Amino acid sequence: MNPLELTLGIMTAVGGFVDISELVFAAKAGSKFGYALIWVFAVATVGIMVFGEMSGRVAAVAKQPVFNLMRHRLGLKLGLVTLFASLVANLITCAAEIGGVAMILNYLTGGSFRLMAIVGALALMASMWVLPFKWIERIYGLLGLFMIVFAVALVAIHPPWGQLAGGFVPQIPKGLSTKEMLIFAYFAVAIVSAVMFPYEAYFYSSGGIEEEWGPKDLPTNTITCTVGFGLGSLLSIAILASSAQLFTPANVDPQVLGSSALEVAIPFGAVGLVVALMGMLFAISGAAIETCMANAYSLSQFFGWEWGRHRKPWEAPRFTVAWACFFTVALLIILTGIDPMQLVEYAVLFSILVLPLTYLPLLLLAGDKSYMGQYANGSLGGILGWIYFVLISLAAVGALPLYFLTSGGQG
Amino acid sequence: MPLRWLLLPLLLLAGCSKGPLADLQYIGEARSLASEWALVNEQAAEGKLTGAYVSAMHKSLRQQIRTAKAALTVPDSSYAHEMATLLATPDDAPPQVLRHHAERLKQFEDALESA
Repeated sequence: MNPLELTLGIMTAVGGFVDISELVFAAKAGSKFGYALIWVFAVATVGIMVFGEMSGRVAAVAKQPVFNLMRHRLGLKLGLVTLFASLVANLITCAAEIGGVAMILNYLTGGSFRLMAIVGALALMASMWVLPFKWIERIYGLLGLFMIVFAVALVAIHPPWGQLAGGFVPQIPKGLSTKEMLIFAYFAVAIVSAVMFPYEAYFYSSGGIEEEWGPKDLPTNTITCTVGFGLGSLLSIAILASSAQLFTPANVDPQVLGSSALEVAIPFGAVGLVVALMGMLFAISGAAIETCMANAYSLSQFFGWEWGRHRKPWEAPRFTVAWACFFTVALLIILTGIDPMQLVEYAVLFSILVLPLTYLPLLLLAGDKSYMGQYANGSLGGILGWIYFVLISLAAVGALPLYFLTSGGQG
Repeated sequence: MPLRWLLLPLLLLAGCSKGPLADLQYIGEARSLASEWALVNEQAAEGKLTGAYVSAMHKSLRQQIRTAKAALTVPDSSYAHEMATLLATPDDAPPQVLRHHAERLKQFEDALESA
């Protein structure tokens, strides 16, 4: 285990953890329910640790991408359904992330939203064309570490630490009306979806193949998933806690992406604001690339095409065309004029609906001794995996009714 | 097929609801946006924000208020007029003025919720 590689891997996971949906839902959750939803972030983070570790392990041991194994394990029909569902969920998410990039560039430069969407998307596509996988992952992950300013800002505003720590205990706030209870449940489901977006596991697993992981890399995989994702999740929790501290007393329920940056501007002024916006820009840009590449990986792996950013773009032409098309379609969705914040809602909603479908094959593969041998899920991994599968299935069943009953969490 | 059956009554319910109670969420949105606008102007007055950020936020907040107003099912109501007044306020209005609008909208919200 190379300590430098491990540290870089953890830092990349931390910087790459937060995306537009976490930014939006963490800030909203904090302003609406104070610290009461922190535990949902904690529970969902353990979930993504479990599935992230499994996906990395499958990549390292079976040395085959998840979607390739999935087609053989589930058969063509069920495999196609899974593929289609994850492609749609990732495409909506990618469009939301590109919208987020455009909004942040708009806050930084004052340029028009549409122009910023085009400039941002072209810049991201150029970086995907030019950079090898490791550098794509590291540049956006490490620059996303600017997001740490949110944790520093939280310390600077002196929150009630006791109450904040109490938020890690599973709870439903007392005295909520039925309507408020439904909104609380909607937010819980949305947070689970935002933290456990399916693209994360597939991108991480394909990255393992790109970097030619083997069984010797399994300890690095475990540490990166647990420590990296855990620390990354603390950034989301910091955004939630600052929102509870600053926005609730001001009667603000953050409706636009830029509101989150106010959490840093209030204690640190214009310099803090710019650092926060830069962190958000790189974190969301990284997520845009990950969602787009996750789709190109899934499609190429399923149909057995040449794939990967360790090859030159023209050495894997169908893979290259796939990510370029997905990115272009996502950009076109944003250019139709749809509100990116609305798109975030749809991304979270659609992702939770397909989450069980996308994680079940991974759970089956990671537990299958014929593929994984001695590295198949142990009793702890297996039990946790199935507990989380039941949890996300329940969340998927409840998501649509909760969305309609609460008007998307607005009440 | 079961999903379609589950969705149908919910969609019907959502589509059929009209009147002040259906507008409650948009009044709440506008109230929150007015408070946010006040917070932005307050921080801008203290020199804590950049010009580009402030003008982009003003544009976004206005757009969201406009969307909330357009979604009202009773467009001639007193809360719709309050939203129109809010939209007529200049970008750099003092925070107290914006908070006053937020309070007025909150009163409508409270009145409808207790009805």
